[in-house]
Amino acid sequence: MVQTLKKSWTTFKTIFTGMGVTMRHLLQPSVTLRYPEERDELPSGARSKLFVHIDDCIGCKLCERACPVNCIAIETVQATKDVDLGKTSTGNPKRFWITTFNIDMSKCMYCDMCVPPCPTECISMVPEYEYSEYDRNNLLFQFSELSADKVTEVKEKAEKEQEEKQRKKKEAARKKKAQKADQTSKAKQKNSEG
Amino acid sequence: MAPVTSPQPAAIENRTMTINMGPQHPSTHGVLRLEVTVDGEVVTKVKPDIGYLHRCFEKYAESLGDYAKVVPYTDRIDYVSALHQEMGYVIAVEKLLELEVPERVEYMRVILAELQRIASHLLGIGTFGLDLGAFTPFLYCFIERENILRILEKVSGARLLYNYLCVGGLMRDIPTDFTSDTWEFVTSFRPKIKELNDLLTTNSIFIDRTANIGVLPAEVALNYSASGPMLRGSGVSWDLRKNDPYSIYDRFEFNVPVGQGEMGTVGDCWDRYIVRVREMEESLKIIEQALDQMPGEGDVKEAVPRRIRSKEGEVYVRTETPRGELGYYIISEKSGPYRIKARTPSFVNLSILPAISKGALVADLVAIVGSIDIVLGGVDR
Repeated sequence: MVQTLKKSWTTFKTIFTGMGVTMRHLLQPSVTLRYPEERDELPSGARSKLFVHIDDCIGCKLCERACPVNCIAIETVQATKDVDLGKTSTGNPKRFWITTFNIDMSKCMYCDMCVPPCPTECISMVPEYEYSEYDRNNLLFQFSELSADKVTEVKEKAEKEQEEKQRKKKEAARKKKAQKADQTSKAKQKNSEG
Repeated sequence: MAPVTSPQPAAIENRTMTINMGPQHPSTHGVLRLEVTVDGEVVTKVKPDIGYLHRCFEKYAESLGDYAKVVPYTDRIDYVSALHQEMGYVIAVEKLLELEVPERVEYMRVILAELQRIASHLLGIGTFGLDLGAFTPFLYCFIERENILRILEKVSGARLLYNYLCVGGLMRDIPTDFTSDTWEFVTSFRPKIKELNDLLTTNSIFIDRTANIGVLPAEVALNYSASGPMLRGSGVSWDLRKNDPYSIYDRFEFNVPVGQGEMGTVGDCWDRYIVRVREMEESLKIIEQALDQMPGEGDVKEAVPRRIRSKEGEVYVRTETPRGELGYYIISEKSGPYRIKARTPSFVNLSILPAISKGALVADLVAIVGSIDIVLGGVDR
């Protein structure tokens, strides 16, 4: 009997100690935010969305290589000699046309591994987190600003230059060969004459 | 005319029944399915069915071929204590490559790891209370956990999967207000532990539901190679930070709390719970000492290699996570990792469940699962 009463008393007491804690919390200011109306400020450097300043990209593909999930796809075309693509804001010369720079944010795991390798600091995380989509394809962000026509033009030009280079190389090789043959024949002649 | 015999009611057989708990059961903390054989209200057999969250971590890590790229995947092994998973892996790779890490980085890693330990225990305790029907402590635990997550978010940029440690150093510089933030948290958190004690630890209902339930004797715990609060709750003082110090844990003074059976038997659910609560206080002590000793300046990326050149070798490193011993076993070749194996405490601790839940009530099974504090990401990898 005494035991039961004691037990009841401790139960009663501990419940009301707990209630006291709850009461104290009730009088404190609320910690929750009413989300769509109120928003918490993200700290600087929060990782929520990738962004690329395409003007600063030099097409080195270091970010593509650093990505563990392969969500970055870059294609580049070498610029022909007659075009000067200028320099990035960090002073690196640009030598490639960036024909494709796609980031698939549905694959991205926000690990931030692509950001430190970038030599021109053109790829970075921006504090934007409300970009849900109904269609997964809309999460493929294309950063290349070249139009399709421009891409084919650039590609053709680059190919032509490449061909030209090859041709010149071949020609040079042929010339060299011819020269060599010439020299050897001359030497032979000399020998025979001697 | 043959006499009509009414079918005799079959004698009530004393049959057992098999029921499913999970995979979508709120008390299984993830996708765990328990095949429970019950005799009335008494559990006679439990068979955990795992594998719902299997993500092929080990094979994937081997196929990546680059030690640095594996770090974000280690986060996802045990997502509640991601920094500990990173820390174990990073230390293993550093040991393999024989890299020296700057002092400042070591201190930073210890502080972050202990903050993460508190956050993880808060979640463990909160959900344990939630399983037993105590909803309020869960919310208060989350308020405190939020404070830690804010610090970690400021440091690393993410709230849960940090990817902040890298081989040889840290991914980012330490923010200038990190020390003041952490001091503020440490001073504000001490009184909250008392509040938690008022709400749960000494609560009569809570004690009734946890004391003498799911008793795990020390011998059984050792035979199943349990670790962490699971083992310490059974009265075995074994903490890798003390017994096999890694990083710089040998420089700090702290106690290893063990279960003493204050409310019932040694090794019951209440003991496992109280070990976690007391460990939070010890973590606070470590954080305070580390903050005092931490060198004020230094480059955290000093020792980070530009490209990791793989070495031939074999290494096993074990660290103490909030759930127990986490081991990484790496066999390395010249071309990259050949085998990366993770020994996760959640998996090992879960294997004890059938042994300790025999003869318990179904309602107590919920308490036992909660007291093991498993993370299914860690069980399945």
